[in-house]
Amino acid sequence: MAGEVMVVAEQVGSKVAPVTLELLGEGKKLAQKLGVNLSCFVIGHNMQDAVQEVIKAGAQKVYLADNSELAEYKTLHYRRVIVDELSKWTTPPHTLLMGSTTTGRDLAPRVAAFFETGLTADTIELDIGPYEHTSGTDETKLGYFPECLYASRPSFGESLKARILGPWKDPQMATIRPGVFPKPEMMESAPEGIEVVNVACSFQGCDYRVEIKETIRELETKVDITAADVIVAGGYGLGSGEGIDLLKQLADCFENSVIGASRKIVDLSWIDYPHQVGQTGKTVRPKIYIACGISGALQHRVGMQKSDHIIAINKDPDAPIFSFADHGIVGDLYQVIPEMINQLKSNRNVENKELKNA
Amino acid sequence: MNNKDLDIYVLIKQVPDTRSKAGVNPDGTIDRAKAGKMLNPFDAYALQAALNAKKMGGSNSKVTAVTMGPPPAIDILYQALEHGVDKTLMLSDRRLAASDTLATSYALCQTLEYAFKQNGRPGDLIFCGLQTTDGDTAQVGPEISERLDFTQITYCEDFSISDDEVHAKKIIEGGTQLVKAQLPTLITIANSYQKLKYKTLRGAQFVQDIKRSSKEKQAKYVEIIDLDACHAEELRCGLAGSPTIVSKTWKIGVVGGNCTMHQGKSVTELVTEVVQDLPVLEEFVKI
Repeated sequence: MAGEVMVVAEQVGSKVAPVTLELLGEGKKLAQKLGVNLSCFVIGHNMQDAVQEVIKAGAQKVYLADNSELAEYKTLHYRRVIVDELSKWTTPPHTLLMGSTTTGRDLAPRVAAFFETGLTADTIELDIGPYEHTSGTDETKLGYFPECLYASRPSFGESLKARILGPWKDPQMATIRPGVFPKPEMMESAPEGIEVVNVACSFQGCDYRVEIKETIRELETKVDITAADVIVAGGYGLGSGEGIDLLKQLADCFENSVIGASRKIVDLSWIDYPHQVGQTGKTVRPKIYIACGISGALQHRVGMQKSDHIIAINKDPDAPIFSFADHGIVGDLYQVIPEMINQLKSNRNVENKELKNA
Repeated sequence: MNNKDLDIYVLIKQVPDTRSKAGVNPDGTIDRAKAGKMLNPFDAYALQAALNAKKMGGSNSKVTAVTMGPPPAIDILYQALEHGVDKTLMLSDRRLAASDTLATSYALCQTLEYAFKQNGRPGDLIFCGLQTTDGDTAQVGPEISERLDFTQITYCEDFSISDDEVHAKKIIEGGTQLVKAQLPTLITIANSYQKLKYKTLRGAQFVQDIKRSSKEKQAKYVEIIDLDACHAEELRCGLAGSPTIVSKTWKIGVVGGNCTMHQGKSVTELVTEVVQDLPVLEEFVKI
């Protein structure tokens, strides 16, 4: 009998992070395929509302570590409660999922290394399926495994997707990018009879080796590109950081708009990381995505391909982005964008527009 | 003024050079044998951080660059020496092929333990890049930290060291955090940290000298070891030691495949076509 499917919840200020709800939605499907429970490990302080929230999102069992030491995420404290609790189990969870956030990417590898188990990073697809291992130097690994966690992610620099699995040891772990899975439908109220297990917090001296001196959250000013209706995104084709100004002018034509960026130009410090779209940035689904000078590498594509309308502007008619954009303009973005701004501005004057149509 | 001598390690990796077209097949896949090689760009920040950390310690502080890879990866060790590290160490062994992150973290941990032993004491600081450009996992650093029972600071943007503590600024979800961590610690450096400075003329000459020196002298600066030297168990390395495998890869087909192309006309015409084809654009235009 397989162990359960467990999602480690992420919280900020006792509120459940959206990625946790997304994972519960997807985790439910995996649990159903395995015929096991979906559980959620909630770690924080004053988490009663959070517990209700994860239950409404589908958790069938909750493990709760509620302690004032856990109010803010701390690597060693969070690691302690997870490792101590799961070490007691005779059957470990089959699958253990965390968000691929700065928090999940800090915590998941520590847990994986402790249990000497596999961990797939930045997964974009999850499933359960069979696998037969027929060759290899280690004979103990041979065999047929009917229920493996399939975790798929883009493979480096290639237009390939790789399925990664590791049925030899549970828990089979993966981190998943926020925004990849939709938020599940929430129940109106939490169903009765869901078991909430209080997890002991036995911190040791060595867990206190790191101290938080100050936490600065930029909730007000923080750029949240995932909530925008229109994203004007730039890539290396901008040629220099000064191109960002032009993108801003175009974005300014739209309501609820924001600047997006390819990883390349974030690495070049033309724009800050919160603007980054793609595998190592944010996953976005705006109504309109205007990609300017972005070639469309797979890592970028996985972060924006679910946009309603994609317009690509690129000098190179063979750029991969034209294979999945809806509208492609082959041209110099320094000519195309000013013209687009010009037309959008003149069109918004209704009289002007009628004159044109006449 | 902090006078404690610091033993600093920086983990670096050689990755395919994606800036050049060499080794990139027409279908977008990479021919790793043909592709050029480069220092993982994220590791350049870690290298600079390690060199900065050395200045924060006592006068006998030293930096050792460590890598795992096939023999040609020696190039990035020379590069690290040109930038001013004191010593380099490479784990190179065919039995490491197909290592996943867990097996990699085990092998690197054994390599570090080997270095600690050679040096007569455990390291104080290990710097890593945030992630590699060919794996993109960001997992190996924290996995090593767990194995060595180090404290860890991921996504570090700035730091200072005094006595046995690191004061650091790090990125967290929705903001930043100032933390204080006891040594020994493993730090992964965010790419918002300082860029790697140019190699020095002295460094370049030094490396030229080493390359021309006797094997014995070379080994003082560039030490190459295998699994046996660092007492790594073969079954915990490479494919055998990896709890995960890639079971299947497939090409991601064209998603839309219905791109309406606008080209070969004046810019005004091209833009007019798109604006007219997409009335949704105007729905979001500010009034």
